[in-house]
Amino acid sequence: MNRFFKITGYTIRDQMRHKSFYVLMAFCLLFVLMIRGCYSGQYVVNGEPLDNITIAWHVSKIVFQVIVSGMFLIVILISMKIFSRDHEDGSLVLFLSRPVFRRQYILGRIAGTWFLCLVFMFILHAAIFLTVWVKTGVVIPGYLTASLVCSINLLFITVSVCFLSLFLPDFISAMFTVGILFVGYISDGGYQILNSEILKKAVPSAAASSPALWRIFYPKVYMVQAYADSIIGQISFINMGPIHPILNVSFFIILITTLILVVFNKKEI
Amino acid sequence: MIVLNSIIKKFGTFTAVDNITYRIEKGEYFALLGPNGAGKTTVVRMLLDFIKPTSGSIFIDGIPVSNPEARKRVGYLAEHHMIPSHLSGLEFLRRHASLIGFAGKDALMEVDRLLEVVSMKGREKETSAAYSKGMKQRIGLAAALLGQPKLLILDEPVTGLDPIGIRDVRNILENLRDDGVTVFLNSHFLSEVEKTCRTLAIMNHGKILVKDSIRSIIKDDETLEDVFIKYTQKGK
Repeated sequence: MNRFFKITGYTIRDQMRHKSFYVLMAFCLLFVLMIRGCYSGQYVVNGEPLDNITIAWHVSKIVFQVIVSGMFLIVILISMKIFSRDHEDGSLVLFLSRPVFRRQYILGRIAGTWFLCLVFMFILHAAIFLTVWVKTGVVIPGYLTASLVCSINLLFITVSVCFLSLFLPDFISAMFTVGILFVGYISDGGYQILNSEILKKAVPSAAASSPALWRIFYPKVYMVQAYADSIIGQISFINMGPIHPILNVSFFIILITTLILVVFNKKEI
Repeated sequence: MIVLNSIIKKFGTFTAVDNITYRIEKGEYFALLGPNGAGKTTVVRMLLDFIKPTSGSIFIDGIPVSNPEARKRVGYLAEHHMIPSHLSGLEFLRRHASLIGFAGKDALMEVDRLLEVVSMKGREKETSAAYSKGMKQRIGLAAALLGQPKLLILDEPVTGLDPIGIRDVRNILENLRDDGVTVFLNSHFLSEVEKTCRTLAIMNHGKILVKDSIRSIIKDDETLEDVFIKYTQKGK
């Protein structure tokens, strides 16, 4: 257990040494600072002025999702190179020539990457949360809780990319994971739109058909985000099927991590 | 110290190691020789559980190598020793020290001692990207020596070293031999093996052709090179 924490710590330190990490962080912070101005503008819709609080609320919800999506890309870029880089630079031999279980190495690397990205995302969300608070005096309830809820998606992406990178070239495994997310977004996003109150009223027959079984059991990354959105907006959450998206994604994380451990245990170094 | 029972390793249809059985006793200074592709590095990789044998079992100090505890008092130096380019020699050694249980002041003192031993004191804070191959090899040797190992597995330890480095490594290994450390040496440098080792095995096509003490293997008026060529050229 001790070695697992050590490897987690090394992973965080190693990732933070890469210049690309700071470039990404700088871009993200710049983005957050740039949208700061949105909270103090004068907005008029159909000749009616909108109050700052309404604007802040909606902008914050949009920015929340933009940050999460951006973090998906960052976590993919970081995760795709974990094993190949360790193999090339001798880190793998460093760890495994010592009394370290392969599972400690794998879980340490995954945990370190996930924790770093989780903190990164939380800082960006916290920056938005504080900006809204300072500019409008309004505290958005559930904003930071929603950030933590979305971090489960980061873990899902980390393990997916890591698993695929055991068989495929880094870039292909990254693209494959993007594909998995894309299919989920189309499937779940479509379901959410069809079941929205506005569309139900406009086209009552649209939501009548129940979704195919594969759509119910497909990794619910989009649904987790929708759930997080419902926490911020304090609105009802439209789920697909009986399984909560957090349970669905957790199941896939456990399944894929188990597969990684099994495959990596047999891997020749 | 090391026991190999009927080890077979196949890569597809190619048999890299063909039914090897032998044991290396505690304190033995053993060299595994053989031409390129003989299967020596495959044996080393199996000793460290980097690859699994197709059949057979390997034990270090009575513990199966699949259990990482078997590597608790084992030092390993790879032929092409690599250090992550973002780490300095000092950080690299500290990580090794930490993974084998050294902490705080003990780790610093142990790392410091070994930097002196491998003559890398003063260069330890430079990132490894600035190191020559020989310097990386010295740091690798220091890592292998951390924690006073009971068993050292050295895969071509003098590769990339200049004559002074080779002499230094020889002196270090001779001291370890005198301290009763078991050494498993995989090397092409026959003259070095002849100077330092007490027992050796010659391997070719995945099989052990001969295993005995150097004195028994090398007859009068022969050199190790003559013996090596005699065994590896047999049947050609």
